[in-house]
Amino acid sequence: MKSEVIGSSAGGLSSGAVVVAHELKAPLSLMRQLALSLELEDDKAGVKRVGDQIVATSERALRQVNDLLKVARLDDALFEMEPVNPRAVCDDVVSELWQLFRFNRRELKIDYRNRRHLVVANRQLLHSVVYNFCLNAMNYGGEELPSEVMISDRKNGRIRVAVRDYGPAVPTRIWREIKDGFVNRPLEIAMRPGSSGMGLYIAAKFANYMGADFGLIRHRDGTSFYVDLQISGQLSLV
Amino acid sequence: MRIFVIDDDRMWEDYYRRVLRGYDLDFFHDGVAAMAEMDDVRPDLVVLDLLLVGPTGFAILNEMRSYPELASVPVVIVSSVELRDELADDYGVAAVLDKSKMTPRELRACVEECCCAA
Repeated sequence: MKSEVIGSSAGGLSSGAVVVAHELKAPLSLMRQLALSLELEDDKAGVKRVGDQIVATSERALRQVNDLLKVARLDDALFEMEPVNPRAVCDDVVSELWQLFRFNRRELKIDYRNRRHLVVANRQLLHSVVYNFCLNAMNYGGEELPSEVMISDRKNGRIRVAVRDYGPAVPTRIWREIKDGFVNRPLEIAMRPGSSGMGLYIAAKFANYMGADFGLIRHRDGTSFYVDLQISGQLSLV
Repeated sequence: MRIFVIDDDRMWEDYYRRVLRGYDLDFFHDGVAAMAEMDDVRPDLVVLDLLLVGPTGFAILNEMRSYPELASVPVVIVSSVELRDELADDYGVAAVLDKSKMTPRELRACVEECCCAA
């Protein structure tokens, strides 16, 4: 992993590596507990439910590891830009995450308002951006209202892909860092496993690679994280 | 026995429901909501994570200890944070369990012991 991912070195182990270890400790601990608790289950439905939770938790952790590996390889220019249908990408993410949201007693819905344009992006990276926005919303969104994946047209020839949550306000320090485009390290939204802001850091890196604007809007009752992507000149075939 | 479980990671809620089956569980995902409920209801036991969004588990613990009616409520800390063994004595908690090392049986046994003593 590259030094910009890792951050400053401290105590022989970089701070970024410590954050990554901290992030992965949470799903690993949960998977271990879930696996051990299987012996308490005496019916098939219960065993299946626990199995599904283990799979969902492990998939989330694996995706995070894969995203970090992608961040480390961005400089190798392996990710080609192409015309991408943002609706298809968002549909994939929602389909992938609905079960994890369900296990977290959360909901995720979609709100597409754009005309059917393609954007210039890398499909894998855009998928990761939306995925990480959604995970962030799952962790911080309120319980009453579902988080929303939104796509809308912008006046400047761009399309905005955003995820809106109804959780507590993002701390001013974090908001300022993102607003100023200074996302060179995981942002500590809260000092607990799974909340290092690693997902936002990954999303910012990928957005920057795709030439997209990355930002957030603070609402009275939540936050929207977004990327504004250039519309592709190629006509949408969808 | 009424147990308040304070843990902001919702993925753990189902786990607690299964491991502590038979107990009357109330779940809280932040300390503010838990403390607000404690104004009305005195739990028999609190299972508390430490690293929370908003007030930390330590803040909740200090708050509880500042109210006479809540000061004696037994607290079991269940957290991913590696803690000194003396923490249980320092904060007067009944037990400290490490999420990455405990077993479901240990958790249940710990809760049973606290509830019997209460």
